[in-house]
Amino acid sequence: MLEPSFLFGQFVGGLSIAMFLFLIASGLALIFGVLRILNFAHGSFYMIGAYLAWQIVHILDAKTGGAFWLAVFGAATAVAILGALIERFLLRPLYGREELYQLLFTYALVLVLADAAKIIWGTQQLSVSRPPSLAGASTIFGAVVPHYNLVIMALGPMVAALVWFILHRTHIGRMVRAAALDREMLGALGADVGRLYTLMFAFGSFLAGLAGALVTPIKTVNPGMDVEIIVEAFIVIVIGGLGSLWGAFFGALIYGQFLSFGILIFPRFSIFSVFALMAIILVIRPWGLFGKPLSR
Amino acid sequence: MRKALLAAAGAAVLSLGVAVDARAQDIKIGMPMILSGPGALFGEPALKGAQMAVDEANAKGGVLGRKLQLIYKDSKGNPDEAVRVAREMILKDEVDFLVGTFTGAEGPAVSPIAKENKIVFIAPVSKPDALTAPKNLHPYLFRTATTTTIEGRSAAELIAKLSVKRIATISPDYAYGQEVTAAFVAHLKKLKPDMEIVDQQWPKLGEADYTPFINAQLAKQPDAVFSSLWGGHFVTFIKQATPLGYFKRINNNFVAGGEAGSIESAKAIGDDYPLGIWGNSYDAFNWDGPPAHKDFIERLKKYTGQEQPSSWPSVGYIAVQVLVEGIRKANSTKSDDVAKVLPGLTVDTPIGKQTISPKNHSANRGQFWGKMVKDPRYTFAVMEKPMYLDPTPFLD
Repeated sequence: MLEPSFLFGQFVGGLSIAMFLFLIASGLALIFGVLRILNFAHGSFYMIGAYLAWQIVHILDAKTGGAFWLAVFGAATAVAILGALIERFLLRPLYGREELYQLLFTYALVLVLADAAKIIWGTQQLSVSRPPSLAGASTIFGAVVPHYNLVIMALGPMVAALVWFILHRTHIGRMVRAAALDREMLGALGADVGRLYTLMFAFGSFLAGLAGALVTPIKTVNPGMDVEIIVEAFIVIVIGGLGSLWGAFFGALIYGQFLSFGILIFPRFSIFSVFALMAIILVIRPWGLFGKPLSR
Repeated sequence: MRKALLAAAGAAVLSLGVAVDARAQDIKIGMPMILSGPGALFGEPALKGAQMAVDEANAKGGVLGRKLQLIYKDSKGNPDEAVRVAREMILKDEVDFLVGTFTGAEGPAVSPIAKENKIVFIAPVSKPDALTAPKNLHPYLFRTATTTTIEGRSAAELIAKLSVKRIATISPDYAYGQEVTAAFVAHLKKLKPDMEIVDQQWPKLGEADYTPFINAQLAKQPDAVFSSLWGGHFVTFIKQATPLGYFKRINNNFVAGGEAGSIESAKAIGDDYPLGIWGNSYDAFNWDGPPAHKDFIERLKKYTGQEQPSSWPSVGYIAVQVLVEGIRKANSTKSDDVAKVLPGLTVDTPIGKQTISPKNHSANRGQFWGKMVKDPRYTFAVMEKPMYLDPTPFLD
């Protein structure tokens, strides 16, 4: 039972869960890290991304890999634009208010977007096939790994590296980090903080839309997927540390492995090990593995 | 400003009052039904079936000379919300009867409300045995849904016929999944003591990624599997299990409850449906059944405008039909009178005779089972020669 090939299979399974979760959690962490907004609607952007990807594949009516990747990036870009519009016209007036208002707003957005998706796409379960070139699977060390999951596992670290590069090696990244530290000071220095926020919110939304579009070949697109994912994404960023990119990355890795190997120990309580881990972390390190304690 | 609001609210209440008065002669049936979230895909056609039964009864002059009126509200698949709308329909809309709820949690939540208000409540979809277990049963509660016992035992009957030895299960970890799996395991042990349960996986309801569960299950080398993953959960599972070679490894000996054979699930999976596995559903438009059923399907096609109608209207239709027969037999629209005649009542439904057991107030509702195949006439997988599995022989 505990053959190496089986253990490796569990490890890879956990890894692919982790990379999907990282794609969705990274945007959530970024938006919280810079804008200090806990965006409940992040799961809704993920859902819209999935629906849009389905829609584009459906319109193109082609089962080629090209159509699929076009749909993925088209959907993510459209969600980014939606995010930018929401930030600019709906969220911006709330920045001066108490945090509770922003929380309520993003929660209201969850309800509005869920209803909007239902009006546009109905309640039908929708599904996108894997791109043909990635439909197969390979046996690696005795474990079967679908090619599509391999691509996702490669994409996760690439996205992490890209975001890190943008934040730490570009001009705009320096501005973003400065805005996270002291928004007023940055504004006083003449930077357009408003535009920076819109850009960051759009980028976070892009990542949510990307995750939603990429998940369509392995998951049903249906109403309710928004709420399902947001809980898991929150667990990931709580484990990793709110607002930390690497926190989201390692939080997702830990989540995936705990789920994968947890079910071998507690088969009756699949989610138990993950929740137990979160509880322990909240007790001994409430700011998460990679977060920083609030200085206030 | 506040005064204006109050006046507007007052006017709204008044106009509502007038509307209600004008229809005071109607027999009102309240239907809490899941109309939002992932379950709406099934709740909406179930409601449509109930509406069709009401319209058909009204076209024939109503019941006891009075028209039926269906009042429905979204239960959101949430037991608290189902209770709230059930109360609201009883108190504000003054419904005479309740027919509805969907999930295994909603039915048991609404049942005490029916008892408290002494209103007949018929559950068309809630399966858990606990709903009508002796400690929960009361004179006003009835069920036309199938039960977890019936569904689990039906699946066991099917697997017992296969030449397999090592059996596994995969079920969502909540009331329905647990109960139906327990019923399956217990009945299989009785039928085939030499079959062995080698593995049981319990992903949480709404699990996003089943890969670890699938790998862990395959490691135990089962040669047949029973699943009760339903709706979108089933679709997601299929999409992840197929590339892992899951169905090949178990030789397609996969018996899927949870309405895996319904056209909603088949359409969602499309070309990726693993042909050769077993699925079930509440009804089947391609059933080679009695003329009454063929006629029902024809009427349903007209009513819904769908060439291949959903299997879900059947549940709403039959529940209303049973209620209507109860009202006729009692010759009264009082819940107390109807509740007395429903136990033991037999009704000719589109799927055949359904009898409400006096013992547990549940109908002998079986489901349709069949091997999933691709039929060139349809764009999605369907059950090949769907068969109605009458549960009477294997009920206690």
